[in-house]
Amino acid sequence: MICVAVTGKREETPLVSTLYFEWDQIVKPGQFVMVWLPDVGEIPMSLSITEGTKAITVKEYGPTSKALRNLEPGDRLFFRGPYGDSFTPAEGEVLLVGGGTGMASLRPLISLNSSAVVSARNEKELLFDDEFERERIFRVTDDGSAGVKGTPVDQLRSMDLERFSMLYVCGPEKMLKAVHDYLKGRNVKAEFSLERLMKCGIGICDSCSVDGYQLCRDGPVFDIESIGRMREFGVTKLTDSGRRVKI
Amino acid sequence: MPDISAKIAGLELENPLILASGILDENGYTMRRIMEEGAAAVVTKSIGIDERAGYRPPVIAEVDSGLLNAVGLANPGIESFGEEIEIALTAGKPVIGSIFASTVEDFVNLAEKMEKFSVSGVELNLSCPHVEGFGTEVGSDASLVEEIVTEIKKKISVPLFAKLSPNVSNMLEIAKAAERADAYVLINTVRGMSIDINARKPVLSNRYGGLSGSAIKPVGIRYVYEVKKETGKEIVGVGGIETGYDAIEYIMAGASALQIGTALFRHGRRVFDLVNGQINDFMAREKVDRIDELIGVAISG
Repeated sequence: MICVAVTGKREETPLVSTLYFEWDQIVKPGQFVMVWLPDVGEIPMSLSITEGTKAITVKEYGPTSKALRNLEPGDRLFFRGPYGDSFTPAEGEVLLVGGGTGMASLRPLISLNSSAVVSARNEKELLFDDEFERERIFRVTDDGSAGVKGTPVDQLRSMDLERFSMLYVCGPEKMLKAVHDYLKGRNVKAEFSLERLMKCGIGICDSCSVDGYQLCRDGPVFDIESIGRMREFGVTKLTDSGRRVKI
Repeated sequence: MPDISAKIAGLELENPLILASGILDENGYTMRRIMEEGAAAVVTKSIGIDERAGYRPPVIAEVDSGLLNAVGLANPGIESFGEEIEIALTAGKPVIGSIFASTVEDFVNLAEKMEKFSVSGVELNLSCPHVEGFGTEVGSDASLVEEIVTEIKKKISVPLFAKLSPNVSNMLEIAKAAERADAYVLINTVRGMSIDINARKPVLSNRYGGLSGSAIKPVGIRYVYEVKKETGKEIVGVGGIETGYDAIEYIMAGASALQIGTALFRHGRRVFDLVNGQINDFMAREKVDRIDELIGVAISG
């Protein structure tokens, strides 16, 4: 288990914080670590900054993420990794499509050549939308409190997507499925980062598998063709007991 | 070309390698892919009567030469598991259903349900080292083991495998109690523990876990050898097999077939092709035509 000190903290939204730490390790955009809070639990976290000082961006949704979010500079951070594959770098203009905290794993891809469709339930929960120049950001909210009211697909419909050399997509699986179905058959290259319940992070427990692929090892990033062939994608997943449920 | 097909408890296997219970075997699509990518058969995750979420993570810790795990018998319950077996069976290869319980009645009930799901065999988990009331706690009681095996054999017609624990004072006594089973599976994980010195706490949420991987191979070899020598029964060898040479060593100790689990962590799903290739190369070099020419050849005295 790697043990480092938290060196900084930034509140991003009412429920989301970024924790900064020094870690001398090559990490690629899209990769993740398994973060351990002793006596509380262990959860997978994407790196939201992969160059120089590293960072994770955590949303409070359960006991472990809550305890993680409560860490302060000076506290110890325990984790193992990095795990998983990464987004393929692309030349030219790229488009990031992020839903909720899905923006965390897309953040390392932000550059002078990137535009983004950032979606959330409401304006306050939009993540990293202020990292883009005005003409490069397209906001989408469920309640219409900022930008387009609806889903990322509602925004994509009004865009010329073929001018982007690559689309990078991360967010809840329902959103990924909707974006995939919209993009399918169009002349675009796209990569999706999937999220499933994950227990081991090293390809043996089967909790995160989709169609026999282990997200923690074969993924979490898959190209649009691979993901389109997965029968479980957007349809069913397994709970922590292994029971199959609809998404 | 040597023939690497194997036979155990009447099951015909295209090669001697079976996926071990507890690794990549909770989702039917994963089991199917494992068989498509080289395993001759799979053993499912251990399934009980009721749904169990298992322990909260960390459920796994990397240690020298292996893994320590305490997943906690997470399973969806037998009624929900038929769907996964149905998906796995589309690979067209044998699926062996692993079951755990604390009473004879529940064991019999689970075995009958597994047979209804069209499994090719039933494996008894008499050896999980990390859940109170199950596994080793059942599997170290010789008279209970004898009753479980005897009653299940009356009710099912597919082969019955008894997976035994090295965490008992006398495995031979338990093996003899389970002798009505069609074959033994040796060994389950060895009870162990790992402490993070920076956190000053055990890594696993359950504190204790089961050690697997190459660290336990000599323990497995010893039990396969001893039980084969004393009982003569068919054995599936498991524990630390990462190469074809490990596999051959188990076969020479007395195993008729083998299971692989933790090596998936080191090599990924291609481990089955890798190990089969090395078995084939060894047999060609040693001019051995069939695997059964090697079973137990190291046993003497």
